Amino acid sequence: MSFIPGQPVTAVVQRIEIRKLQHGEHLILGFSIGGGIDQDPGQNPFSEDKSDKGIYVTRVTPGGPAEVAGLMMGDKVMQVNGWDMTMVTHDQARKRLTKKDEDIVRLLVTRKSLEQAVRHSMM
Amino acid sequence: MMQEPQEMVEETVTIEEDPGTPTSHVSVVTSDDGTTRRTETKVTKMVKTVTTRTVRQVPLGPDGLPLPEGSSPLGSYTDSIDRRYLKNGERYITTPQATSTLTRSYNNYNDSYSDALPPDAGGSQYGGRHYGLHDGYGIGDATDNYGSLSRGVNFRPPRYPYAMANSYRPENSYGTLPIRKDDYGHVAQPQVPMGSSSVDLNRSQPERFQPEPYGLEDDRRSLGPEEEEPYDLEPDYSTASRRQGTLPGTNRGRTMREPLRDGPRIRGYEDPIEAELIDERHPYIHGMYPAPLAQPERGSMASLDRLAGRRSPSIDSIRKDPRWRDPDLQEVIAMLGHPIDPVKSNAAAYLQHLCYENDKIKKDVRQLKGIPVLASLLDHPKAEVHRKACGALRNISYGKDHDNKVAIKNCDGIPALVRLLRKTNDMEVRELITGTLWNLSSYEPLKMVIINHGLQTMTNEVIIPHSGWEHEPNEDSKPRDAEWTTVFKNTSGCLRNVSSDGAEARRRLRECEGLVDALLHALQSAVGKKDMDNKSVENCVCIMRNLSYHVHKEIPGAEKFTDPSVLQAPGSAGPQRKKKDDAGCFGGKKAKEEWFNQARKNGENDKNYDTLDLPKRTEPTKGFELLYQPEVVRLYLSLLTESQNYNTLEAAAGALQNLSAGQWTWSNYIRATVRKEKGLPILVELLRSDSDKVVRAVAIALRNLSIDRRNKDLIGSYAMRDLVSNLPSGQQRPAKNLEEDTVVAILNTIHEIVTDSSENARSLIQAQAIEKLVAINKTSQSPREDKAASHVLQTVWSYKDLRNALTKEGWNKSHFQPTATGAPKAAKNGKPGYDDTTLPLMEKNQGTKKNGSGDMIPMDELGPDGYSTIDQRDKDCKYKSSGDGSVDLTEREPLKNDTNRKHYVRSNRPAVKLVDACEVKPQPVDSWV
Repeated sequence: MSFIPGQPVTAVVQRIEIRKLQHGEHLILGFSIGGGIDQDPGQNPFSEDKSDKGIYVTRVTPGGPAEVAGLMMGDKVMQVNGWDMTMVTHDQARKRLTKKDEDIVRLLVTRKSLEQAVRHSMM
Repeated sequence: MMQEPQEMVEETVTIEEDPGTPTSHVSVVTSDDGTTRRTETKVTKMVKTVTTRTVRQVPLGPDGLPLPEGSSPLGSYTDSIDRRYLKNGERYITTPQATSTLTRSYNNYNDSYSDALPPDAGGSQYGGRHYGLHDGYGIGDATDNYGSLSRGVNFRPPRYPYAMANSYRPENSYGTLPIRKDDYGHVAQPQVPMGSSSVDLNRSQPERFQPEPYGLEDDRRSLGPEEEEPYDLEPDYSTASRRQGTLPGTNRGRTMREPLRDGPRIRGYEDPIEAELIDERHPYIHGMYPAPLAQPERGSMASLDRLAGRRSPSIDSIRKDPRWRDPDLQEVIAMLGHPIDPVKSNAAAYLQHLCYENDKIKKDVRQLKGIPVLASLLDHPKAEVHRKACGALRNISYGKDHDNKVAIKNCDGIPALVRLLRKTNDMEVRELITGTLWNLSSYEPLKMVIINHGLQTMTNEVIIPHSGWEHEPNEDSKPRDAEWTTVFKNTSGCLRNVSSDGAEARRRLRECEGLVDALLHALQSAVGKKDMDNKSVENCVCIMRNLSYHVHKEIPGAEKFTDPSVLQAPGSAGPQRKKKDDAGCFGGKKAKEEWFNQARKNGENDKNYDTLDLPKRTEPTKGFELLYQPEVVRLYLSLLTESQNYNTLEAAAGALQNLSAGQWTWSNYIRATVRKEKGLPILVELLRSDSDKVVRAVAIALRNLSIDRRNKDLIGSYAMRDLVSNLPSGQQRPAKNLEEDTVVAILNTIHEIVTDSSENARSLIQAQAIEKLVAINKTSQSPREDKAASHVLQTVWSYKDLRNALTKEGWNKSHFQPTATGAPKAAKNGKPGYDDTTLPLMEKNQGTKKNGSGDMIPMDELGPDGYSTIDQRDKDCKYKSSGDGSVDLTEREPLKNDTNRKHYVRSNRPAVKLVDACEVKPQPVDSWV
């Protein structure tokens, strides 16, 4: 996803709604995140350019709630329940996802294949 | 854990390289230095050739003299020309070949003709980079659309000054030349002054030539940039012209040349001659004549218009000279359907050139539906046409944009390529085809398609013949050696990529008749010739490694070879003795199994583990059975000893790792054979390698090998120090700075070695490992390293007879227990010392879960194979050591070292470290939610 500084970012996004799963005393989503503005973006294996400090889905538990909801490894999380995730620290993102009082999380995610699909359809 | 066909790794690598290598011929040249350079070399050669001719001519020069300035009729250009001549003359005069060359060129006219484009392209090469250079492409006289790119813009200005009356005249003469234009031939571009016929001749000849060389290597053009420099030779016209074309702003030839007017036009000199030739040889050209000739300006455009069904706007373009512009992309694509073959081939060649290293153009070609047209040209009967089409596809297929690859597949380009491969004997075309397939094979979803359409063909047409292997070798003749041709390299690269596509792909490759036999033969020949560092060998070993993955589970009838007793009999995996085994037929029967059991018992009782009778075969082994015959051990060990190529080393170690995994008869043989062939020291030696992945593959191989009891003892005695020296000590990483995966692999290997062997545990203590292990356990930021180290420590502590020694060294029980959580139980499932808050449940479960069956992290298709799982279980049963299961599991992940994984792993460290430095709580780089 490329952008021009100062211009709004546009991205093809998918809405994903994940119902947390009660697991012992915890509610889990079944995926893990990486990235954040306090992390080294150069290490992010999923971003196209290595300067993106967004939050990315790094792993998805097979059969877990996230996978069921259609989340995929490598997805970039744009929003969580309406909260922007493109400019947050790793920890902020984690907290936003793990609110104990919310058992449904709505994500906006973007991924390359989405953009490609759209591009194809426009061709 | 044990077997990881590091498929991912391979793939990645391959992809990059493929394009590069194959490409080098073609425009594909990667931006990387390596590739580019190669290309250059080739170019150079070509240039030289050209020069030679020129020289000849020089003496012959119209004036009879080396053209002193005044002599040439051309007036303004004279200067430049003369100089060149002189130069050439000096150097090259001697060369005799000119004549022959010329002749050839003429004969080849056709070829050269079509090839002509490439040369330009060559010129464009420069252009390659700048793009503008296309001028060269006579193709379009229209520079327009590409105009921005084209040098036209840059170019022209310089010209004008030079463009004297003389120069213009030539244009008038176009009438004669126009033909070319039609053809797009740059060649065609008639330019310059027709005045001095003799001069023209000279020049023209040289030029003619050029086409040839270039033609052969289309892409060389990409190389173009280099051409300019070194060669004074350039002086050649042909060369010169190219350059000029190419180097718009540039100097040399160019500037000088300019007088001639445009680079392209320079060729014009030749034109007259060529034109005639053309007439004679290519009757069809005449067809085109009418329009273009009459109006030179419209030359090529005329055809374009027709094709495109519209008049291109560019005609009236910005260009000062309305006559020349490059066709726009749409027009070029339209030309692919032109009824006249040379137009098609030139258009395709031009496309190839345009696409060189330009993702944007590739995408545009795709969107303009150019790819299906190119693919359809693959079936064109004329070599020139399908060759150029193939070249264009190769460039288009290169790069990260998988959509281009998919587009080629969607128009049935893959079967078309394969068909052409069967049909053509032209080496260059075969290189292009296999290069394209290699590029395509880098994209996961296309792998199976390639297997379905091309596997047997690639094997029969390329792999077998080039490997030197013969179905039925003639007993009298010496076995043939493999030839490391580009075609072989490309094809093996393609197969290497597709071999990583999972169990089904492996099955298909294994069962592909002659493939395994040929690959093995090629490798043996490489070892014989001590030529083991090249890419082809690397590709072959990687294929072998991938095909060896899970052989014990995937080979038909494999279950007959499994050792039933192994599960219940821990540590008994030692080699068994076996009298005769009709292994070839997988005829294992009940009797045999019983026999195995018995053998096992014998083996246990009788400590002579070195006794190992390999099964005798009544008929020679062939096909995939060769993969796991103990004979391959020697081959891999030779590679491990001799090769300097890290990828080859890693793959060879990986192959041994795969073969020594699992509990079946053959892996028992393999493990014993490695020992008997003195392979253990070779492997241990490689633990000192500078390459992370080599160390890792070797470590895991040693772990698998130590399933054999005797091996375990030996490895414990001789490898411990090298293993330990690879461990980080505390915050300080060893000099090598191994990745987490590697460290974990080493720790797990150590764990395997000390399990069930207090002797080995003692060696471990003596190797000063405890300090490192405790440090890792305490301070490592990696939960996986942590856990692995913790398992080793627990195992060591479990040997009561060692505690005394440990206590003496100042250690106490607390050092051997998992940190953080403290309770050994927690350690089992979990990751000691990890901040749990960040990792709610899932995290904690991670260990457990893995234990179960699923991989937490489906990084790639390997995971599912679950080989490791099985193994782990076995181990659990066997050793009952507490955290064992989880250890293995952990390893699994590492095994999948795909690139992602690596990044991921790496990411862990730095971040953590930084945090650490500040004494802040480690920041989770990756959090389960």
